[in-house]
Amino acid sequence: MKTNKCNLSIACLISLVAIILALPGQLPGQTGTAKSSGGNGTPATRWSVQVDQVDAGNLDLAYSFQIAIYENLVVELKTTKQFQQVFREGDRKASEAPNLLVLKTTVEKYIPGSETKRAVTTVSGATKLTVRSQLLTREGNVVLERTVNGEVRLFGSNLRATHNLAHNIAKTIKQSSWSGSGQPTAILTGQL
Amino acid sequence: MDRFVVSRSHSEAYQPDRRHPLWLSIVLICCSLAAPAQQITQRGNSSASLSTQAIHLLGFANAKNNSTGTLSVQYDSLQFQQNGKPGAIVKIALVRDVFLGAESKQVGGLPMTLGKTAAPFGGGRVVSLFAHKKYDTLTLEYVDADEGIHGAIFQLTEGQGELVRNELIARGVIVGSRQDQSTKESAAEATHENK
Repeated sequence: MKTNKCNLSIACLISLVAIILALPGQLPGQTGTAKSSGGNGTPATRWSVQVDQVDAGNLDLAYSFQIAIYENLVVELKTTKQFQQVFREGDRKASEAPNLLVLKTTVEKYIPGSETKRAVTTVSGATKLTVRSQLLTREGNVVLERTVNGEVRLFGSNLRATHNLAHNIAKTIKQSSWSGSGQPTAILTGQL
Repeated sequence: MDRFVVSRSHSEAYQPDRRHPLWLSIVLICCSLAAPAQQITQRGNSSASLSTQAIHLLGFANAKNNSTGTLSVQYDSLQFQQNGKPGAIVKIALVRDVFLGAESKQVGGLPMTLGKTAAPFGGGRVVSLFAHKKYDTLTLEYVDADEGIHGAIFQLTEGQGELVRNELIARGVIVGSRQDQSTKESAAEATHENK
């Protein structure tokens, strides 16, 4: 009799563990289905983006900063998963992509900072970057235009400003009403 | 008689030996002075390699960002190898441009920063005033197999950047017109850092 009770409790425990283990696996699958189906049931057009090299204009911006912005942009845009593919400038595969947007970045303002000044004074020595980001179609129509800032105020090297800037640009694109799906119609301008 | 002869020849034989410790110490001092330079840059024959310690900041092939390793120019390729890991390689023929810059950074990293923050009476700020070091930044522009443009930035000990750049130029990398401007800008930035 005692053995039966023991077996029953073990069976209950095993089934409980099995339910607990099965639930988390099931939930992401459900959310995945909900995501892929879309709002109106029609499959949305997914766009690809080509990141162009940064145009420093007439500003005295070190080339390492331009390269850092460019590289960080490629990484950040991939992280957002907003675009089907993220191409680099010059990539031959970009010309074959059906829905391609081009991201152009022009530096408007650059205030060089100093890591030592930041560490000593806390309030001064910030490195600040302001850029104008444009998403254009192949035909040159502007889909999205924003002015975005990136800076490093306290901890980190001067190049960290480029990482913050790229993160902000990717965030702006993701949060804009142009969602990266469907036909780009309206021109959005603004500042972050 | 015999003893005298032996004694004389013995002293003659050992006289040069007294100078040996002096020569040995001079050689050792010279070796110890040369050792740090050997550690930083190792240069083989002309076709082999130039290697130097570097921090990969971003962008070089599949190397991890902000990782320390050895940057070397070997035959037809540029390699960055972290300790005990397979190296990331880019063919020199794919490198389009090289830019040299300079930057001043705080030393010690995060532990030092935390220590300085925790120091009482603003002692950390005083330490920050002196705890900075100049570095060379080497920026590369290269293309991948699909001709997509990549950029990579390395941080090297002051003076090492120019050696790597010159080595790359010697192996056929054409430095673009932006080089002078970039160097000028970097120098201006470094001056700004020192203010």
